[in-house]
Amino acid sequence: MKDLQTVLREWEAVIGLEVHTELTTLNTKMFCSCKIEFGALPNTHVCPVCLGLPGALPVPNKAAIQSIVLAGLATNCKIQKRSMFYRKNYFYPDMSKNFQTTQGPIAFCMDGWLSLDVNGNAAKERVDVVANKSADSSCQQGGQQNCQLAAVATQTSLGYSTHIGITRIHMEEDAGKMIHVGGTDGRITGSDYSLVDYNRCGTPLIELVTEPDLRTPEEARLFLQKLRSIYLTLGISDCSMEEGSLRCDGNVSLRKRGSSKLGVKTELKNMNSFKNLHDGLAYEICRQAEVLENGGTVAQETRHWEPANKRTVSMRVKETADDYRLFPEPDLAPYDLSDEFVEKCRARLPELPDAKAKRYFDDYEVAASDAMNLAADVELSAFFDDALLNIKNNEKTEGLATPCQALAQPIANMLLNDVVAYLNSNNLLIGDTQLTAAAICELAELRVRDAISSKQAKEVLMMLAKDGGSANAIVNELGIEQVSDASELETVIDTILAQFPEKVEQYRGGKLGLMGFFVGQAMKETKGQGNPQLLNKILSEKLDASEA
Amino acid sequence: MLRSEYTNLSVVDIREGLNAGNFSAKEIADASLSCIDALDAGVVDAFLSTTPMLAYEAAEKLDTNSAKSAQVKAGILAGVPIAFKDNMNLMGTHTTCASKMLADYISPYTATCVAKTLAAGAIPMGKLNMDEFAFGSSTETSAFKLTRNPWDLERVPGGSSGGSVAAVASGMVTVALGSDTGGSIRQPAAFCGVVGFKPTYGVVSRYGVVAFGSSLDQVGPIGRSVADVAITTDAICGRDPLDCTSQDVNPGYYNSVLAAQQKGIKGMKIGVVPEYLEAPGIEREVVKALKGAIANLQELGAQIVDVSLPNAQAALAAYYVIGPCEAFSNLSRFDSVRYGNKNDVVQTAATDLGSRYEQARAHGFGPEAIRRIMLGSYLLSSGVYNTYYYPAQQVRTLITKDYQQAFEQVDVILAPVSPRTAFKFGEVGDPTSMYLSDIFTIPINIAGNGGLSLPVGLGEDSGLPVAVQIIGPQFGDYAIMRAAAALEQCYPDIRRIAPLMDSLNASANGLKSPERGVA
Amino acid sequence: MYLTENDVRGIATYARIGLADDEVKAMTIDLNNIIESLKPITEYDLTGVEPTFHPIAGLVNVMRDDIQIDGLAHNDAMQNAPSSADGQFRIPPILGDGGEA
Repeated sequence: MKDLQTVLREWEAVIGLEVHTELTTLNTKMFCSCKIEFGALPNTHVCPVCLGLPGALPVPNKAAIQSIVLAGLATNCKIQKRSMFYRKNYFYPDMSKNFQTTQGPIAFCMDGWLSLDVNGNAAKERVDVVANKSADSSCQQGGQQNCQLAAVATQTSLGYSTHIGITRIHMEEDAGKMIHVGGTDGRITGSDYSLVDYNRCGTPLIELVTEPDLRTPEEARLFLQKLRSIYLTLGISDCSMEEGSLRCDGNVSLRKRGSSKLGVKTELKNMNSFKNLHDGLAYEICRQAEVLENGGTVAQETRHWEPANKRTVSMRVKETADDYRLFPEPDLAPYDLSDEFVEKCRARLPELPDAKAKRYFDDYEVAASDAMNLAADVELSAFFDDALLNIKNNEKTEGLATPCQALAQPIANMLLNDVVAYLNSNNLLIGDTQLTAAAICELAELRVRDAISSKQAKEVLMMLAKDGGSANAIVNELGIEQVSDASELETVIDTILAQFPEKVEQYRGGKLGLMGFFVGQAMKETKGQGNPQLLNKILSEKLDASEA
Repeated sequence: MLRSEYTNLSVVDIREGLNAGNFSAKEIADASLSCIDALDAGVVDAFLSTTPMLAYEAAEKLDTNSAKSAQVKAGILAGVPIAFKDNMNLMGTHTTCASKMLADYISPYTATCVAKTLAAGAIPMGKLNMDEFAFGSSTETSAFKLTRNPWDLERVPGGSSGGSVAAVASGMVTVALGSDTGGSIRQPAAFCGVVGFKPTYGVVSRYGVVAFGSSLDQVGPIGRSVADVAITTDAICGRDPLDCTSQDVNPGYYNSVLAAQQKGIKGMKIGVVPEYLEAPGIEREVVKALKGAIANLQELGAQIVDVSLPNAQAALAAYYVIGPCEAFSNLSRFDSVRYGNKNDVVQTAATDLGSRYEQARAHGFGPEAIRRIMLGSYLLSSGVYNTYYYPAQQVRTLITKDYQQAFEQVDVILAPVSPRTAFKFGEVGDPTSMYLSDIFTIPINIAGNGGLSLPVGLGEDSGLPVAVQIIGPQFGDYAIMRAAAALEQCYPDIRRIAPLMDSLNASANGLKSPERGVA
Repeated sequence: MYLTENDVRGIATYARIGLADDEVKAMTIDLNNIIESLKPITEYDLTGVEPTFHPIAGLVNVMRDDIQIDGLAHNDAMQNAPSSADGQFRIPPILGDGGEA
């Protein structure tokens, strides 16, 4: 098979995603008051409703409807005030009623979009980036709802920007979980029997469907990452791909570059990490290209990504189109959401990652890519905002004309490099560490004043993360603060120059190598804490000036 | 001893007698149980299971001197023997829906309507036979037994709540709860000469009542008088947080009855649909009874007004679209995974899930249930949906409007309940003719209104009970109660307990007591 | 005739009801009779008529608060299961012998 880069030069991949997200931050299920809990003993969070017992009736969770409205508002969807729940009838043992309660032609959220910035290496998969036009980022700046630039990649300083349409986000309920016993690797094939646990059955689920506006696996991955950071910022789900609270299926088809006719698409399942999403799509694109280039046709089918074997395999081919016998759910009242309901949700919208990144960039001069990375992480950006607040409230920040701007980038650097590495290697969230916003501000200030070296700063940062405390106190305790007070160093140098007049003569006579001697003496005098650059500077000034 | 002096008592009689200390709740429970012993198994066969333990527990609660007892005694159904159609969950009891599918199903929870009667002090006697999953008009589709009409043991009690009306008509219980999707309370009540009431859709919670047609089903009481039925409705009505479609309704049913009994209904406007008197297949004695009722109402000072329901004739077709579609979906959950006939599952020993489903459902469901599931599945399939289901719901709009317009002119409408009196077992064979027996009751379910079946004596041709139906506007049930209570007073002499009781009383000591039927 | 015996077999498969050949024959007759009786529905001019999916006019937005209530005890949840193992509902293999994933 050809590699992805080669394939994408010849072929255009047309990718759409379906993203299922469990609203795990709610207390209760979609249509009953059972607790939502991952990993509980089987069938311990069940009731007549979610077990589908005869006679039970559903009652929708208001908080779930609020959550989906939040999701819609955050993804530029039009909130549909009038909609209904429908019954989607199909027999599957993990769906206790043998119908799924979902939405019909009209979902709570329709017709939205997200902009996508693709930077650095990720941008290399895209071969058809167009130069920045005047219309460039009108979509990103919001307001314009029917953006004409869907899927078009527009060049930016760091890569390119594109625009992904969102068809709809609808509300539904999750199924239970099954274990297949007796087969290999827990697969359904060859199993002797299966076991069903309904704890998850009825968990509120929102399904977002994109337009086929994605063109590369990287775009798909970045879109899902962006969506995840939006959902996390909204606080509507823990979005754990590992535990299955965020799940993504992909549709992909190929067409010859320049063609506008859509090819036959396949549906990809089991892409349960960002890497799997990328790699599964990349494999499938290459596979389809090979089929097409060999004169074959792509079969419309569902394929399963096997990460271990790095390939997709065909799942059962559907002989007939699904007929779900969809009809309006008579047990649930229709919706006619009030303006008040929607506006109350809107008022709850937190600052979203894009706006946050823009603020870091515009107001605090944080580098664009750092601003985006910080903003995408709910915990890190909250910590960063705390730090900025701390600086604003701290009148002691001396010597810095614009302390927030001066300190923001150093703090961002510390967070995105050393702190993230520390968190990842210890599997912690920043809230789990002892690091405080005040401490990181002190540390940044010490660095900016050049009071400690970058190596020392990192050491102190790790100590703050493990044991807490204040950066100044640690630096004092360790006695590592550099002497960067010019007048203090001048006094020291004057003493040394007075002490070794013959060496001063020799230096001035041309023996410039003696500079090292003077620096060494000065370091000795300052017990090694003299700022070396400053010492050098003062020494040369004094020696050269006297000569003149 | 059958203690008919107790089994004849009204709801008010029982509560007052109990509170006055004239008798104990245990005596009432005993009387009901001995009546069931004598009349049920092998005779009427109304019960699928009895709950003597629960009955005695409830009686003891009423009889023990305690603060709690005082509270229960004050309940509006204090001491009243009640039984429930077997599609109503009562925790710890069998709930079979008269289907093999649920032959050994034990309810782990209680339906709201059942719980409300118990909270009001009623004594639960057991669970009653019905058409399987309420699919039928004669109780003949029950998988377990035929229930006999206490007026003529050769005849059906009607259905689907046949067990509920037979138990009340034979005096085994004072009131019973039934459910009505297309006439399943009113038609059997008419066949057995008792009062049956289907409230407006939304008045009584459906939570815990096994669904047939979710947008059509409504729970209602069956009793031997309008007052008993009104009091029972007061006990079960109102908003239930577990049923989205249940509505906030004030328990003013009995007050409406009292008001009508005291003040009459002079000036009330009663609608009559002239075409109904000439409906095809309607029996002469049914028409005669209806005309008699009109005359009586006029005598009471009511004003008779002709009204028109032009779309009502399409109601039957709409019903046989909407009902089976909802039933198909509601009955999908019966797949033998979480519950189901344990014996069947072991015996079939299917080697894959698909065959297990097919076998469990083919064995578990009877022919009528299978027909409706199949029909619903077909009608909802893509392409067909727009030919039947969607237009049926549009026709529903037209029918609803017919009633709305009619009720702009009148307070209630008087109509037949069934075109005929009780028929013999097996007499109505093919499904489509059976469906016709509900032509006067079905439009009410389609529109969501309330309707009450009031016995007006015995047909002069058949000698069997005949009834009239009083229909009210949506959420205008009190008007039904007023009209029914007033009209009821015009028939002071009609029996509400079938003569069966007399003959058994006479030979009580000679009758061997058959074993109680437990499904 | 609206449905052939083959159609009826397809419907039965969809509804997961195993029908024997003679049952299919009888069911085909019954269903065709019933569908014939539904004709009035197809003969209406329903232009511009809104459907009534929910019989209570104006009933909208019925919801509950997100407050947890304990459900069934585990044993009560399992008591009616025809077959169970390890606290779960046990079912035959989904694909059966020779099934393909």
